[in-house]
Amino acid sequence: MKRVLSVEKLDSLISYILIFGVLVSLAVETLGIAGYYSSNGSLNILFRPSFAMKGTNFFSYVWKLIQELSVGGWSPMQVLSCGIVVLMLTPYLRVVASVLYFGLTRNPKYLLITLFVLFVLTVSLLISK
Amino acid sequence: MIDMLSVLIISVFAGFLGSLTGLGGGSIMIPVLVAFGVPVKYAIAASMVTIIATSSGSAASYVKERITNVKAAFYLEMFTIVGAIIGATITSFIAPRFLYFFFAGFLLTSFLGLSGHMRREFPKRVRQDRFSKWLELDGSYYDEAAKKTISYKIKNAQIGGPCMLIAGLAAGMLGIGAGAFKVSIHELILKMPSKVSTTTSNFIIGITALAGASVYFASGLLFVGLAAPMAVGTTVGALVGGKILNRLPNRLIRYLFLVIVVALIAQMLYEGITLP
Repeated sequence: MKRVLSVEKLDSLISYILIFGVLVSLAVETLGIAGYYSSNGSLNILFRPSFAMKGTNFFSYVWKLIQELSVGGWSPMQVLSCGIVVLMLTPYLRVVASVLYFGLTRNPKYLLITLFVLFVLTVSLLISK
Repeated sequence: MIDMLSVLIISVFAGFLGSLTGLGGGSIMIPVLVAFGVPVKYAIAASMVTIIATSSGSAASYVKERITNVKAAFYLEMFTIVGAIIGATITSFIAPRFLYFFFAGFLLTSFLGLSGHMRREFPKRVRQDRFSKWLELDGSYYDEAAKKTISYKIKNAQIGGPCMLIAGLAAGMLGIGAGAFKVSIHELILKMPSKVSTTTSNFIIGITALAGASVYFASGLLFVGLAAPMAVGTTVGALVGGKILNRLPNRLIRYLFLVIVVALIAQMLYEGITLP
């Protein structure tokens, strides 16, 4: 009985992370699109290198974005980037939650498996070209 | 060049049709964006991010209903994320012409989804091997249609895992979910029940897409102006498609699927051949 309840907790936690992450990111992206139109008068997509999401690595990009947003004067591109960042962090948080869950329930096999997934994802988000 | 509003509107239709046919919004959006002059690598990178939204949205309810096998998903995820990173890295360096042909070729695997009815919905008498048993790959869920609790065991984890590397490679390389390919591995090799197979595939797709998207981010191929309206539109379209799917006759869905797949293959082959 105790095991069933624990599995249910993991399922609920993952489910809430997914729903919350997707809803927030889509709402922020919609706001960003509206803001882009109101400030530029058009919705043209510019494929210039300066409009690409790029940083030393993903985490430093997120940190830089947080710093810029905390100063205020949000630009629509920053809001759009914020939506994409929340979206990309959603599955990452899902894996972090699973690592914690398997650690707390002392399941070494799945703790290792989820840690491997988390490690590979973290390395891939840390790489830069 | 296409603007955000056009991307948003087209994405709603792509998400809707992708949900009805099982192709996924990305498989439809990439050829359409290419037809509008968007470079194929930018379209693939944006699609990879879009997939995170659509798969996470639909995976949420299935996880809560406990149909998804989270343990199987994480075991298979070890292979798909490595494949996705390799695939996305290949795309960052490869000549676009090859991508058109690979895309057209991989669309053919979506026909695997059509043969779904030939497989058993609930595989019977599955003798679990030692490795799959060690991985605790079993489970149960309440099936609303059958009105009973289905208990199942998964087998052949040692073969299914490496096969998922190929699924991840294709997903990362082409910016698609490769759902039909994954579901076929789940059902034909791992002997998962149909509903567990599709929902577990949905769960895997989101994390795999993040692995691929991370490479595109590092390569500077990810444009927010393209990815954001695509994510919003495709997710809305997929939600609407999911709601009306059960009301449409199967025959209509199959014709729709055939017409769309043939058109997408033709478009990608045309782009590949006519590329200067």
